[in-house]
Amino acid sequence: MATIGADLVRQMAAGDREAFAVFYDRYAPVVFPLILRIVRERADASDVLQEVFWEAWRDAPAYDATRGSAEAWMVTRARTRAIDRIRATRRRGETFVAPLDDGVAAAPRESAPDAAERAADRGTVMTALDRLPEAQREVIELAYYAGLTQTEIAERLKQPLGTVKTRIRLGLERLREVVKASS
Amino acid sequence: MNHEPYDTLAATYAVGALDGQERLDFERHLADGCDVCEATLRESAEALASLARSRPPMIPPPAVKEELMRRLAATTPARRDGARPQPRRLVWAVGTVAAVVAAAAFTGTFVATRYEAQLGVMARESAALRERVEKEEQALREQVAVYRNAADLLRDPQAQVVTLRGLGPSPEATGRVIWHPTGGGYVFVANLPAAPPGKAYEMWTIGDAAPQPAGLFQVDASGRGAHRIAPVEGGKPVKVFAITLETEAGVPQPQGPMVLASAK
Repeated sequence: MATIGADLVRQMAAGDREAFAVFYDRYAPVVFPLILRIVRERADASDVLQEVFWEAWRDAPAYDATRGSAEAWMVTRARTRAIDRIRATRRRGETFVAPLDDGVAAAPRESAPDAAERAADRGTVMTALDRLPEAQREVIELAYYAGLTQTEIAERLKQPLGTVKTRIRLGLERLREVVKASS
Repeated sequence: MNHEPYDTLAATYAVGALDGQERLDFERHLADGCDVCEATLRESAEALASLARSRPPMIPPPAVKEELMRRLAATTPARRDGARPQPRRLVWAVGTVAAVVAAAAFTGTFVATRYEAQLGVMARESAALRERVEKEEQALREQVAVYRNAADLLRDPQAQVVTLRGLGPSPEATGRVIWHPTGGGYVFVANLPAAPPGKAYEMWTIGDAAPQPAGLFQVDASGRGAHRIAPVEGGKPVKVFAITLETEAGVPQPQGPMVLASAK
């Protein structure tokens, strides 16, 4: 049986570089597409990836397996660092275009395409996110992948803050259910 | 106090969108220690991780790993691999001493090894036991949280209790929904047979439009179950609550048999 992620992190905490190499080979292909999706540029994504794994090596002794899987630990880090990167870019006043694919920033459509259609458009597999109602998926993508806060999302969508919050909550609840049911 | 508002804050926090004073308030709430919110954040992080995993993997440029391994080698002493070369004589001396010590300690080591093996077994057993207790404790805590929130909800003058009646396949089943027009609610069912493998019960709220899915749940061996119903978007009125039997991944529109419903 393959060593579980938590064991690898424990070995990393003890200074085991071999364990780190295995850990990298296992999780880099999972977090790299996520980072790339957020920062868009391959060179930036490579920088962020390196930073994220360097910090994982450094913080390995602080990892607590009872608080979550090694995978969630890495995905959370990767998302946070990638968002830090695009926020820094935005602060520097560089042109920043929030992801426009997936119809995120588009005005609400007359008729929302169904999940399979959306996945096919993007040329990817259908994920749990695609199973959410359009309005819920949209707010979660704006928050999680574009790094917008609830206030920014409300402004962009011209919706009351309360509506945005409810959609995020309902969407995330549904996402947890779908993931739980399929695992 | 009612925990309801924190559920929304936790979800918004989980996707990194909470800002301003609410973020400070929520972080204070977390710092005070809240098992419910911690569980929400943990589950959300796992769900988002599994979302990342469900996309096709992508191999990053090899230079990233090379650079990382170089940095690691440069800044951290190798603690396991790469023993530093020692002068020959010293190696020989160390070897001799070790052999003598080993011979003298053989009997003691033999006994100690047996004890260590036993200790190892005991440690593993107690770890497994602890894990089980922790899991049970977690389940109980979640259950208590549901009852506590439902009780809080009942104190609210706007809350109403709706009776659900068993239908076709399960006439014995009974259910109650505690519902708040903006806060959502809870459903409690009894005498409902356990869903067959691969199936789950799905809750629906029906207003003027099409039925809205309101989550999946299972019942325990005694046929009882409790489930949180999220508020309906925009606080639209719900006229009928219904429960159907569906595949365990859930469906966007009811397809399976209706097992419980409120009167119109």
